[in-house]
Amino acid sequence: MLEPMMYVGGAYKHSQLIELVEDLGGYILQKNIMQSEVVLLMLVPINDLAIVEKKSKELLGKLTRAPLTGSEIATVAPTLAYHHLPHLDCDVAEFLRKQGAKTNMVGLARGVGKRICQLTAFERDLINEHDVSVFILGNYEHCIIEKSKKLYEGIEIPIVVTGAPELRTEDVPNATAYVGNFGRILHHMRHSEELRTLDKLVEVIGKVLDDVRKEIAKDPPSVAPPRIKKEIEEQIPEIVDSLHPLPITLQMNGVRVKLPYEEYHEQIENIEFVEGVTMKEVARVLPSKMRNFILIKALPKSETGFVI
Amino acid sequence: MEQLETFIVESPDATGAKTTRSLIQDTLSDLSLSRVVGRLKVFVDPVEPVFIFAALLRLGSPAIKLKDFAKVDMGALGKDEVKIELDKEMYTIKLLNKLWAKYGKDNIEQPDKKVIVVKTDPLKDLDMLRELVIEEPQQEVLDRLIDAIALRIIPEGFRVRKHELSNTHVLFVASEDTLKPEWLAKGKEIIESLRREEHA
Repeated sequence: MLEPMMYVGGAYKHSQLIELVEDLGGYILQKNIMQSEVVLLMLVPINDLAIVEKKSKELLGKLTRAPLTGSEIATVAPTLAYHHLPHLDCDVAEFLRKQGAKTNMVGLARGVGKRICQLTAFERDLINEHDVSVFILGNYEHCIIEKSKKLYEGIEIPIVVTGAPELRTEDVPNATAYVGNFGRILHHMRHSEELRTLDKLVEVIGKVLDDVRKEIAKDPPSVAPPRIKKEIEEQIPEIVDSLHPLPITLQMNGVRVKLPYEEYHEQIENIEFVEGVTMKEVARVLPSKMRNFILIKALPKSETGFVI
Repeated sequence: MEQLETFIVESPDATGAKTTRSLIQDTLSDLSLSRVVGRLKVFVDPVEPVFIFAALLRLGSPAIKLKDFAKVDMGALGKDEVKIELDKEMYTIKLLNKLWAKYGKDNIEQPDKKVIVVKTDPLKDLDMLRELVIEEPQQEVLDRLIDAIALRIIPEGFRVRKHELSNTHVLFVASEDTLKPEWLAKGKEIIESLRREEHA
């Protein structure tokens, strides 16, 4: 079992921590160096957590659990208009990103209005490619409830809804979780109270993701997503030249590879693991709805009969 | 006169009204409109659904002409030129842009920070230059106001709209469904009540 962790500390000697985590069988997912500070997002084997903690203390860094690490989250706004952007929507997306998630913003074509809102098939499929969706709705209780009755039709991933009124999750139809105190805010969220609201959202999404993790652990994937990432990085050198943010984005039970599907899917399907299996035996390589990227979904143990 | 003497957001949904109030405040200050709106009343009923936005405006200064901030006179004796001596530098850029567009850059000289010389026949153009409109703050303010109300404040789903706009008031009635006559009447009534308050 790997634990998602975030390390914040000085850039000096941080490579020692990276080496330690890799030696322990963990994975470094993301490394951001900002001037003299470094932020590492990593997966650490739960049994060796104490060793990593000791090392980070030695380097005078801070190690915290980042439950959003390794997940891809869709933040969905009813449209891409002034009503929702740049504030609130970008604030939420940025805040989640700081906590280790990869967020993609989705602006719906016809997401407005409680009576006329709808989701197109393309939008539905695109949102379903993520681990969690966050719907950022508005000010009025009646509108949020009415809208929730039909807007999320066909979405199979957990749905977190935000809005102004304090509602119980049970009152919002089809929602996995509801977080209040948001609403349509047209200024940068930076007051302590607003930051607490964002913290609450992160906490709720973290819980939702932990539930997803538990669900996945019941029938674990034949190959761990970070392992797929590592093998692609080692065997497909072109990924280094990809200028997309996070060329290989981790998801709960797969990865998104930002390379054209037509050109690379065979190469990826034929990636070999040291255990003697190829990628197509342990995962499905699919075309993604996002541009012409590749979506890899690991097969569960119940289908393949083994875990590598 | 004080800014925003009346600022009421009325709604059966109390939390919604509070958030709407803060979003109107944000929008007005973002577009520097808080001094323009004198009295403001909003009525929202998400169940109906209807959104009424009524405000009395204080548009302030009328159009600014060249003679308001500069001395316009004939130039040096015997030369075909008009000399403009600026009192305020605030509008220099806009003025220069207008003059360049009209006479071409070759015919405009600026020997000093506050002096502009235009090469043209003074007898013909002097009066016209004095009356030249440099800025129309009222029109700009109204444009910004419409931007604020129609594109930022009224909920996006409320696509059916009716509006009234004059130099003294603005009224928007918006809904997701066909507008009902009683909503329009309510809008008019709110404007009237604001006017009564103003004159009281």
